[in-house]
Amino acid sequence: MNLYQAVIIGGGPAGMMGAITLGNHSVKTIILDENESIGGQLVKQTHKFFGDHAHYASTRGFEIAQKLDEEIVKNENIEVENDATVIGIYPNNTVVYIKDGQEHKIQAKKILIATGAMEKQLPFINSDLPGVYGAGAVQTLMNEYGIMPGKRFLIIGSGNIGLILAYQLIQAGVEVRAIVEALGKVGGYEVHANKVKRLGVPILLNHTIVRAIGDESVEGAVIAKIDDKFQTIPGTEREMVVDTIAISVGLTPLTELAEQAGCKVEFIPELGGYVPIRDERMRTTNPDVFIAGDLSSIEEATTAMIEGKIAALEMARDINGSDTKEEIEEELRTLALFRSGPKSVKIRSGLEKMGIKISIPTKPIINEKKEDVIGKLRAVLECDEEIPCNSCEASCPFGAIHIGENLNSTPVLDAEKCTGCGTCVNACPGLAIFMMKENEEESTVTLGIPYELLPLSEKGQKMWGLSKEGNYVCDVTVERVIKYPNKTNIVYAKLPIEFKDTVRHFAFPKKESPIVCRCEEVSLEQIEKVIDSGVTDFEEIKRLTRVTMGPCGGKNCKLVVLGILSRKTGVPISKLSHGTSRPPVKPVEFSVFKKGGDER
Amino acid sequence: MEGRIEEHPILQFKRKKKIKFYFEDREVEAFEGETVAAALHAAGIRVLRHTPNLGRPTGLFCAIGKCSSCLMEIDGIPNVRSCMTKVKEGMRVRRQKGKGDVL
Repeated sequence: MNLYQAVIIGGGPAGMMGAITLGNHSVKTIILDENESIGGQLVKQTHKFFGDHAHYASTRGFEIAQKLDEEIVKNENIEVENDATVIGIYPNNTVVYIKDGQEHKIQAKKILIATGAMEKQLPFINSDLPGVYGAGAVQTLMNEYGIMPGKRFLIIGSGNIGLILAYQLIQAGVEVRAIVEALGKVGGYEVHANKVKRLGVPILLNHTIVRAIGDESVEGAVIAKIDDKFQTIPGTEREMVVDTIAISVGLTPLTELAEQAGCKVEFIPELGGYVPIRDERMRTTNPDVFIAGDLSSIEEATTAMIEGKIAALEMARDINGSDTKEEIEEELRTLALFRSGPKSVKIRSGLEKMGIKISIPTKPIINEKKEDVIGKLRAVLECDEEIPCNSCEASCPFGAIHIGENLNSTPVLDAEKCTGCGTCVNACPGLAIFMMKENEEESTVTLGIPYELLPLSEKGQKMWGLSKEGNYVCDVTVERVIKYPNKTNIVYAKLPIEFKDTVRHFAFPKKESPIVCRCEEVSLEQIEKVIDSGVTDFEEIKRLTRVTMGPCGGKNCKLVVLGILSRKTGVPISKLSHGTSRPPVKPVEFSVFKKGGDER
Repeated sequence: MEGRIEEHPILQFKRKKKIKFYFEDREVEAFEGETVAAALHAAGIRVLRHTPNLGRPTGLFCAIGKCSSCLMEIDGIPNVRSCMTKVKEGMRVRRQKGKGDVL
């Protein structure tokens, strides 16, 4: 049997970082991973990560996976066994896995289990119907394979995964009808919620899904309001036409292998369910077995990577006596900092149940906003929630953004120092920074927004300015579009100054326009276009668009067209020329005229 | 092909060789490197199995090999996780009915 110094089960962020750390400390390590390539769930994350600039903040998930993979390939102490499904752990640190239809056994001095988590179930009527997916499954199909499982989505749960999924679905070009949330407030980060709200996705609080509709596959859903005891309020049920339902009500750790390795587990809901008991340095109740990542507590990829590193440093100490004490202490400090914000209350109380106390290094500060400098192109920071991230501060080349010692503090801008370069807009993972310049003399404002959708607009194009809730506010004119290699582009557009604090997204005007003339199929938009081009005579509009010239002779639409013309020109309908009425006023066969008639 | 994303603001999908496989004796196109479940979704097929007792249709749920919702009969072998199995040229895939036979 092959004897390794260290075996890592699971090549996600925790396992990868663990391997790199072990390799760097000269420990011969093997990663066993069930997939064709390593990266875990990072490979399907297209959004930029929050966090510390030193820990891959502002980098998209799949790019973090690529970077870690490159380091692993370079490291000659690390071996990667892909397509290897671990099916059990036996005494004497024996790990059994299946590859290519064959059973393999290996032994290791130390084991790092980083098996991650899986989606929690949410039982409702027909929740087993095809078309009901875990949010992660939709991400896998969409972002890993480029395959879209539906056209109209309903998302259950407004945690970060649900919010991110909604945003990603819209990026991929499909419709998200709503996000349903049982609680009275959004579960995830405010900036993630704002991202989808301004794209027009309603987040329905105090709502739940009652049932999925469909025989063979989802064709709709019934949702309803719930009271404070989470009971459906009768009479509030309503149907939604959707073809796909994505569940994102949380993750739960995959503890089976850890349990087989003799690790004691306990039910700690704050950490995601059953979790292996471990010390601060990730050692379980089996001294040879360590854990890291979502298996130890449901958190972010960033904390998973730090945990992987801590576990590996402790393992290296055990295996070859590496002096890793200082490094461990440094990583523990970083980890504590990440968990010190108000959004980590649950994690902190869960860890406390295990006897691990997070000492908060410094309290996060709500930095007081400085006075704005009107009339200068500058950044506008709309990040008022204490989340662990400092990518704006780190990105600014001019030191104009201040967060301070604790990365959970909110950022403030020194507008005097800001040069309007837009680097922070491009870097912010929450897309919560905008650019602004008032053009007082013409009563307009130039607003720059981060834009990660297709198609990209062009200079001079007319778009709609949408509010923070995704509603139409006003027309805007695109001034310039700056493209960036990381795909977070900035679109600058001009709009009336009154709407400078209201508009936060630009959308292409909806293509749908009502048909006004049924016979000739002329839309409202077409009529308005002709009027806008300077044609204000009803007869002219007729000839150019064919309105009122079909079989009905204008009985249906004449008045509507005159109404549009009146609205556009300000001339009352009574003062407008309404054209000449010619026979026949009803449809008549040509043969009637051919025959000729008699005169009485 | 149906269900496939062609243009994306962030990602580029580099598809490998086009191949053919069979779903319930019907020819389906796929790209090498895709899982069976993904390829079926691209073809608009979401019902992957009928449950043993109630005969209810079931499909993909977790897509990462954990939930066993997507078990199918692949090349005559039942209970194969279609979300973890890469599709191959000429592969014969069937909806699994019931629990599947042992040999």
